[in-house]
Amino acid sequence: MHSHGSREGEQHRDSNLNKVLLIGNPNVGKSALFGLLTGKYVTVSNYPGTTVEVTYGNAMLNKTRSIVIDTPGVNSLVPMSEDEKVTRDILLTDKAGVVVQVADTKNLRRGLLITIQLAEMDIPFLLDLNMDDEAKSRGIFIDQNLLSRLLGIEVIKTVAIRKSGIDKLLKGIQHPRPSGIDVRYDDAIEGGIRDIVALLPEAYISRRALALMILAGDESLIGWLHANLQDQVISQIEKIRQGVQQKFNNSLGYLINHRRMKKADEILAQVMSRHETGRSSTIAFLLGKWSMHPVYGIPILLAVLYAVYQFVGVFGAGTVVNFLEKTIFGEYLNPWATKIVQFILPVRFLQELIIGEYGIVTMAFTYAIAIVLPIVGFFFFAFGILEDSGYLPRLAVMVNKVFKIMGLNGKAVLPMILGLGCDTMATLTTRILETKKERLLVTFLLALGVPCSAQLGVVLGMVSGISGLATSIWLGTMVCVLFLVGYLASKLLPGEPSDFVLELPPIRIPQLTNILIKTMARVQWYLKEAVPLFVLGTLILFTADKLGVLLLIQKMADPVVVGFLGLPSKAAEALVIGFLRRDYGAAGLFMLAKGGMLDPIQTVVSLVVVTLFVPCIANFFVMIKEQGIRAALYMVAFIFPFAFAVGGAINWLLRSMKVAL
Amino acid sequence: MSEQVRASTVEGTAGHPALCVLPEIEKEDELFEIIWTLREEGNLTFDQIVQSCTLKDCKNILKDLSKNGWININDQVVELLPKGEKRAQELVRRHRLSLRLFYDLFLLDGAEAEACKFEHILSPEVTDSVCTLLGHPPNSPDGKPIPRGACCALFRQEMKPLVAPLADLMPGEQAKIVFITPESHSRLDRLSAMGVVPGSVVKLHQKRPSYVLQLGETMIAVDRDITKEIFVKKI
Repeated sequence: MHSHGSREGEQHRDSNLNKVLLIGNPNVGKSALFGLLTGKYVTVSNYPGTTVEVTYGNAMLNKTRSIVIDTPGVNSLVPMSEDEKVTRDILLTDKAGVVVQVADTKNLRRGLLITIQLAEMDIPFLLDLNMDDEAKSRGIFIDQNLLSRLLGIEVIKTVAIRKSGIDKLLKGIQHPRPSGIDVRYDDAIEGGIRDIVALLPEAYISRRALALMILAGDESLIGWLHANLQDQVISQIEKIRQGVQQKFNNSLGYLINHRRMKKADEILAQVMSRHETGRSSTIAFLLGKWSMHPVYGIPILLAVLYAVYQFVGVFGAGTVVNFLEKTIFGEYLNPWATKIVQFILPVRFLQELIIGEYGIVTMAFTYAIAIVLPIVGFFFFAFGILEDSGYLPRLAVMVNKVFKIMGLNGKAVLPMILGLGCDTMATLTTRILETKKERLLVTFLLALGVPCSAQLGVVLGMVSGISGLATSIWLGTMVCVLFLVGYLASKLLPGEPSDFVLELPPIRIPQLTNILIKTMARVQWYLKEAVPLFVLGTLILFTADKLGVLLLIQKMADPVVVGFLGLPSKAAEALVIGFLRRDYGAAGLFMLAKGGMLDPIQTVVSLVVVTLFVPCIANFFVMIKEQGIRAALYMVAFIFPFAFAVGGAINWLLRSMKVAL
Repeated sequence: MSEQVRASTVEGTAGHPALCVLPEIEKEDELFEIIWTLREEGNLTFDQIVQSCTLKDCKNILKDLSKNGWININDQVVELLPKGEKRAQELVRRHRLSLRLFYDLFLLDGAEAEACKFEHILSPEVTDSVCTLLGHPPNSPDGKPIPRGACCALFRQEMKPLVAPLADLMPGEQAKIVFITPESHSRLDRLSAMGVVPGSVVKLHQKRPSYVLQLGETMIAVDRDITKEIFVKKI
């Protein structure tokens, strides 16, 4: 876990290309700027923690071939979470090139905290005051020339999403300078810095900055120290740190930050002027306020859920899927394909491979393009609106207390909601959580009971087709399972829950173009990721069918599938391909139900099982990457029998209580 | 943030507090404070006392204290006897409360010298009033614990405190952060990186379902527990 996503970076490391590194607080528009400079799209959203990995992009800047590097946002260069560590490490382990610090103009105070740290590192950089438009509308004005003089570096104003100020930024990139500002700490801390600096090796950043990180108690630095120093020197350094810490009751990290903040305030007092505007009553501000109101917040939450359900579940998964599947594929594409294939491929075996029951066109493409793709597309569009409006962090505020039951805090709602889009992406974003315990818990819950959009769309389409009761039973089971398992797991796993401290971005009106681009990027990603697996799954089924293995598996699974779960024997097929992708499994059930092979109870039971079922292959690989193979295998070993147990229990309950769905 | 922030500086007071230079009667008091501070640091030995003490006749005063039943000296081991314990506790309480008062309320940078004069004229009743006024602060500005008094135990809110936990603010109220007494170091580090430091002006937007604070243009949602550790003065 030492350098996430920097495999690509290794190649760039020693090349002579001009490097431009974007660094700054969370949610200040680094990714938007990255997109402008490189023309390469990375997800841009209105909440902190969208970028969790370093992204590289090529660009011609000032007629020089350059590499632009986008980093996860940081509040301090002493990292508090995994994503923040990524950013600090890139400064530490790589010659930085040109560093562009991106700051939110209206929030310059916090930006300056990072400016001061970059100055201490003694690396050449420039400061980009982004979102100047928002600052202006709030009556905040920054004297850019004076700030430039005070800091001794270039200061540029931009509005990245409107492409304004970019030419000036490009000019500025040619003249990065180390900043002359300098912060003096308490004598005891300065003494500690001197003693530690004497023991440190030469590095890409100044030894003074390194010493300050060490004094601030930066545990994530240990790996680097071990790679560069002997153990004996490290323990000597630790002794110095403890010696200094003993002189204060407050943590050194806090004292250092406090001193920097004071310096930032001194600078700010000189360069910032503001005049009152009547903004506190704007609609966006009020909406933001109501959406986390203890009373109004709940109907807003329900309304948002209902709107998403109508848009994705009813319109996307119902109307659009029906049209694509019945009309486009059923009436045109599949018959055409059948005719063409029968004409040019006279061999029956090959014909079946493409257009048979387990044919690549009739099964894989129909499932992927006609059923799953529209659902995913509609979900990501709706999710994009939620992301860019700034509603998601407010949702975290609403659910914070409820999430405490699972040993998590409201912040965990961000990966969980993203999991409703794609569990694989969501597992990556667990990095925004602070403790190992929380990351493990959320990864586990995602794998267990959070259905991804494709699956969710199919599931909702099926249960809502039966009755409201069926929908509630499925939903209730999932919610109960998540809370119960989360509660128990949080008791079993060691470690303390972390504090709930979450920054809330302003409510913004989403830009249609960004949402469309974002949805396209995600759909493209989905197609690249899912279609090959759908084809592979179909090939496996086809082969298994031809060899008679499929019947064998169905027979072997009969005691569980038919006996225990009360499902038709063919449902085993859907579960088998569910190994490859959960949505593929759900789509298989969808076809079964359409063919009239599942009664309402069977539908609910099979959907419960397939939702809880093992994560798809891609998700499993990301679990291994983030949590290690042992943890991933343990999770799957629990989930597999558990899914069947819950399905069996629901089956037994519904049948013995003679529930009419 | 247009307001120039005058933080109650906390750094700059490392190690032992500057000693007060004062008349004869108060020399004993000085020694009690030294003994108390050294004991907190786990450094209490006879030699350490003498070393930390600026008084010339330090050893003699110590012997007098021992003779009069305030302390017990056995070679290097120095112990406060019950009546000495009580006196030392009251002294340290007065000293640290005075420091708090001068730092936080009057925003004086040279608080140490002022506090030195002040601590000797505080009567027990006035001490408790100051303590209540400041909201029964648990720590002095240098982060050292303030010994609790009777008023803190009862925690009667008869006099409305000027300094109170952020958790007690009403939604919509604005206040300036005076001091923070965090349960954990990492919590303080995280908050300080977001601009939550003494001197910052904070507005409380709501209390339920979670606390929402605004500092300048930054909005932060936090747990109630955290707001109990942030002490503020209403503005």
